[in-house]
Amino acid sequence: MAIIVSRKERFLDKLYIPALLVGLKVTFRRFFESLFLGRTMTIQYPEQKREYSQRFRGEHFISVDANKVENCTSCYLCQTVCPAECITIIAEERPNDQNPYGVRKEKRPVRFDIDALRCCFCGFCEEACPKDAIKLSRNYEMAVETRAQAFYDLDHLKREVKGRG
Amino acid sequence: MTKPKITFDGQTFEFEPGDTIMRAAERAHIDQGIPRFCYHPGLPIAGTCRMCTVEVEKAPKLMTACSTPAADGMVVHTQSDKVRKSRAGVMEFLLVNHPLDCPVCDQAGECSLQNYNYEYGPGTSRFRDDKRIWSEATTKRLSDKLTLNMNRCVHCERCVRFTEDISKSNELLMENRGWKKELVSVADQKSFDEYQGNIADICPVGAITFNDFRFKKRVWFLKARKTLCDGCSKGCSIFADEEKHVVYRYRARRNDQVNGHWICDEGRVSYKTYMNPERVIQPLLKTGAEGVACSWQTVLSWSLAEARKAKRVLLLLGTDATSEEAATLMQILPSYWQAETQIRLWNGTGEGVQRSSDDAGLDKLLRRRDKTPNTKGLEMLGLKPFDPAQDQGFDLAIYYRSGRATLPAAPCASVEIGWGVFDRSEAQRFAAVWPGQGVLEKAGSYTNCDGLTQSFDAAVASHGGCAPVKKVLDALKVLSTSASASHEEVALGSV
Repeated sequence: MAIIVSRKERFLDKLYIPALLVGLKVTFRRFFESLFLGRTMTIQYPEQKREYSQRFRGEHFISVDANKVENCTSCYLCQTVCPAECITIIAEERPNDQNPYGVRKEKRPVRFDIDALRCCFCGFCEEACPKDAIKLSRNYEMAVETRAQAFYDLDHLKREVKGRG
Repeated sequence: MTKPKITFDGQTFEFEPGDTIMRAAERAHIDQGIPRFCYHPGLPIAGTCRMCTVEVEKAPKLMTACSTPAADGMVVHTQSDKVRKSRAGVMEFLLVNHPLDCPVCDQAGECSLQNYNYEYGPGTSRFRDDKRIWSEATTKRLSDKLTLNMNRCVHCERCVRFTEDISKSNELLMENRGWKKELVSVADQKSFDEYQGNIADICPVGAITFNDFRFKKRVWFLKARKTLCDGCSKGCSIFADEEKHVVYRYRARRNDQVNGHWICDEGRVSYKTYMNPERVIQPLLKTGAEGVACSWQTVLSWSLAEARKAKRVLLLLGTDATSEEAATLMQILPSYWQAETQIRLWNGTGEGVQRSSDDAGLDKLLRRRDKTPNTKGLEMLGLKPFDPAQDQGFDLAIYYRSGRATLPAAPCASVEIGWGVFDRSEAQRFAAVWPGQGVLEKAGSYTNCDGLTQSFDAAVASHGGCAPVKKVLDALKVLSTSASASHEEVALGSV
C-alpha cells in the first residue's frame, strides 16, 4: 500500500531559482577552473594520447625472431580457442632450405588471417599460444577506410612492434 | 560347458579359453581402461612398453595385460593404486626424452602419450638434464609417404611388427639399444610397400606421420564418419574424417570380415576423387567446344529432347554405382522415352577388368585388380558387360558412374551424356554433364569381391549442384509429363 506524503513548500522553494543555482555550482566551478587554472577534463586527442593500462588489449601482432621469421608454428590453438572465430590459419611444412631451426619451426603458417571486425579482443589467443607468437599490442587506433583493411594478413601481423606497442 | 570367468574391478565377465587378459577385457568392452603403447589387436604381442600392467590377485608382481593368459577365476584390478603408480612411472620414463612439441606435432589430439599422460602421468617433470636429441634425424623422410621424427618415438615397435607380420616387407627395424635405439629403413627405398599409411595410423605418438595428411588439419576439428572405401572391389571399412563437409583423410575402421584393421595407401588417398577442385559440380551443357554451367532444368530438358529424338539409347552403368542406384535406373529411366534402351555395365579399371571373374588379388592382404567397388553387385542385378564390338548403333549414350570406373575409349554414340562424378578433362567429351554424387555423399550398398554386401550412409553433404539419382529421376518425370515445368520443380540444388 502506498503512503501519500505531502511536503510543505515555502515561497523560496516555489521560486526554484536557488535550487537551480545550487545545481549549477559544480558546473560553474569546473568552467572557471578550466578557463583560468587550466584544469581540463578532456584531452586534445590526436595530439594528446590517454595513458592506458599496461595490460590493454589492442591490435594483434605476431612476434618474430632475430631473423624476422614468425614464431608461430601454426598449431591452431588460437583458432580453436577463439570465441569469435575470427582467426583462419593455413599451415604447411617449412621448406628445408629456409629452416635453420630444425624441428622447432618445421611447420609454418602460409596464411594467418585475423578478421579484426569479428574479434572481441578477449585475449584468449594470446593466452593459448604456446610460442608467445600471437599477441595483442597496446595500439587502439585501428580505424580503417574499408572493411578489407580490417582483415589482417600475415604481413600486417608481422609488422615491427616494440615491446607491446 | 560353461565358459571361464574373469573379474575386472569387481565385475565378472566370460571369456574364451586362450584369451589374454587384454583380449578378455576387449570382449567385455572395458579395454579402454587399460592403457597400451605396444599392444595393438591386429599385431603380434610384444609386451615391451609395460604400460598395460594390471594387478592380478595372488600374483607376486604386476602382470602385463597384453601377454598374460587369462585364467578361470582370475581377479584383475585395472585401476588400483599400485597399478596407477606403475603407469605413472612408465609415463615419467617415456617423457624423460619426449619433446614437448605438441603444438607442432600433428598427432596432438589423438596421441596416446598425450591422453595417458593426462590420465596417469605426472604433471611436472623431475628431469633436469638435457633430453636425448637426434639432431640430424629430427624430421626425415622415411619413404615417399611417411615422415619420421625420431625424437618423438616411444619405441613401441608397432611399425616394425607391422612390416614384419602384416605387410611382410620387413622394411623397418630398430637399430642399437636403450636410449640410442633408432628406427631405420633397411633398404632405404622410396616406397617400400603399399600399406604404409597404416604405420602412421598405428603409431601411438607423432613419430611417424603420413605425408598426405601432414599439417593439413588439426585432428580435433575433424569428425569421423563411418563409410566404405570405394577404391577397389574389397570394400574396406573406413572412417572419413571431415570438417564442414570437406574430407581430409581416410582411416581404417576395424572390420574383421573384410579388412581387419588396415587399408591400402591407394584407398587412403582416394578421397581426392571427390574433393578434387577440378570435379564438375554444376550441370554442364556443351555450346561450341566448351561445356557451360547451366541449370538442371536446362540440361534435363535438352537431354530429354535428345532422348526422344533417338532410336536406340545406351545406358552404361559404371560398376561404382550402388546397387540401389543401379536398380532404380534400370527400372525407371527407360520408361521416360520411346527409344529402345540397352543397359550394360562398364568397369574398365585395372587393365581391362570387366566382370568379377577378371578380378584377382594384387597381394595377399587387401588390394584387388578391380578398382571399382560394386562389380559383383551389378552382376547380381543381371547386367552384362558392355562389348564395343557387339553393342553398336546407338544415338544417345548415358554414362552413369561415380568416379571409379573408366569410360570406354571410343565414343559409343553420336551424343554422349555423363552422369555422376567427372573431372573437367573427362567431361570434355560429353554433350552434357549431370553432376552426381560420390560415395561420400550418398547412402547405399556395395557387394564386394567376396560377395559380402555392405551398406553405408552419407558422410558429407553433396557438393555444389550434385544431386542424388532419385531427385534427377523425379525432375525428369516432371519434365516428361508437363510441357512447361516451372524452374522450382526442377531446381535440385545440393541436398
